Amino acid sequence: MNTTADRLSRWTPSIFACALVNLALGLLLAISGLAWPETPAGAPATLAMVHLLTIGWLMLLMLGALFQFVPVITGRKLPSQWFALATLVGVELGLASMVCGFLALGGNALAAVLLPIGGSVVVIAVLTGGAALLVPLMRKRPRPLSAWFILAGLAFLLLTVLLGLTFAFALTVPSAGPLLALLLASGVAYHVLAGLGGWFTLTAIGVSYELLPMFMLAPHERGRLGKAVLWLGAGGFAAALAAGLAGALWPLRWIGVPEQAGRLAIVLALALYLVDVARIYHDRRRRQIELHNRAAVGAFISLGFTVLLAAWAAAAGRLAAFAPVLVLLFLLGWLSGLGLTQLYKIVAFLSWLQRFGNRLGRAPVPRVQDLVNEQRAAGLFALYFTALGAAAVAVAFGQPVATRAALAVSLLAVLLLAREYARAWRGYYAVDRSSGPSSGTTTLSRIKGVHP
Amino acid sequence: MPEATPMVTIEDVRGALHDVIDPELGFNIVDLGLLYDIGIEGGLIDLTMTMTTPGCPAQDYIVGGVERRLAELPGVSGVFVNVVWSPPWSPRRMSRAAKAHFRIREDGE
Repeated sequence: MNTTADRLSRWTPSIFACALVNLALGLLLAISGLAWPETPAGAPATLAMVHLLTIGWLMLLMLGALFQFVPVITGRKLPSQWFALATLVGVELGLASMVCGFLALGGNALAAVLLPIGGSVVVIAVLTGGAALLVPLMRKRPRPLSAWFILAGLAFLLLTVLLGLTFAFALTVPSAGPLLALLLASGVAYHVLAGLGGWFTLTAIGVSYELLPMFMLAPHERGRLGKAVLWLGAGGFAAALAAGLAGALWPLRWIGVPEQAGRLAIVLALALYLVDVARIYHDRRRRQIELHNRAAVGAFISLGFTVLLAAWAAAAGRLAAFAPVLVLLFLLGWLSGLGLTQLYKIVAFLSWLQRFGNRLGRAPVPRVQDLVNEQRAAGLFALYFTALGAAAVAVAFGQPVATRAALAVSLLAVLLLAREYARAWRGYYAVDRSSGPSSGTTTLSRIKGVHP
Repeated sequence: MPEATPMVTIEDVRGALHDVIDPELGFNIVDLGLLYDIGIEGGLIDLTMTMTTPGCPAQDYIVGGVERRLAELPGVSGVFVNVVWSPPWSPRRMSRAAKAHFRIREDGE
């Protein structure tokens, strides 16, 4: 019985490619001056940009990774590979409709059609992908910690897209009821919290709890600290969202208490997670770690800085003033930074499995590391995070032109990294080295000098 | 008189499996300490091994590589590979050469 095909997600590479295109388009919109930082957060082009980055880039990236990752951690295959393709097509079509709908806002009747239709297609696509992931996750007993994070993340994903669809109707239907109008007026922050926090962050934590120890040969068991991150994080997001949304709809005085408690739990969960990540790096047995884990430190620093800044801004009553820089650091530093760095490894791994997996035992094969050029990519990750830091400073000082310039540099880094992913996928470096004069040593798998 | 089929030995098996790597670590599975037990009965090889981490995405490929490499040995009529998780793999199981390659301390910690 050959089960290798069951463990490989056939559509994941295509999903990653589409996600990267959406990231580039989102950054391009920001750089163009048509959207934020030149226009307010609620401007049509800014809404288009934000949804290109969240739905088009991060959601596709996360779902593409989960289609590959969930069968591996559960040991159970997805019901069908076609769910992944249906999700990709649905998300891309729905997103295209939404982006056109956002750009048509402000008088064009098309928006009233495109936004709800696009939102509905995205919800259907998410339900399709989520259902495919739930089957192996629910069958797995006992569930590893990472599976619980993913389950919690999927629940918040559902909440996020349903809230988004509600906003799409509220934005485009003039006769929307008073409750919808109230929700639109003060509920957007909870849409952001559910998406960036509950969905992306909890899922990213769950996936990182598997990938970091796996590639650094660190102890896999996360113990009480990992469980505390799960319960504080999931509980904190749930409490903050439930109380916040209820408070947005009904004037309840006491509702601020559970919301604040939820926010505190979130900050605590993220702080404990960072402590745990530091523990993984410290306890690793592989002293020389690969580029994707070295570069991921930039994402963890972004997360840590975001948590500290958010806690300080909240205490100083300046959360709204710092919201743009917090969202920038969280979305492009923590989530996108982690995504870009881990993608560097995942693409090479998938490429190896697809190209060389069935040659193992028959002929010399390269290592996964031989499919990438770490020296070249290291500078690109440094460029990405440095540009992002510069963009954050520019946002904090209210300099939109400087922000756009810094984001242009980060886009350049993303495009050059995308070329490195494509090279890893095509086996460019492996072919290059094995045809060179030093072929047959470390490039080809049999490591010499270790035979007893 | 027909030529006698050569008997495969544990040393033959271990030697052959130096050609099979864990693609992630880029090192052969023998020196990584992934082999737990090798049983040989006639031409049948019964091999018990593990992976560096449960849920290793390359597991099926490594098992396939082991089966293909051992099937090439003269005198082998069948190969059975059992993947187990207990006892869990640890860098302590690596050979000295592998530990030196990964700059892991002699005690594996």
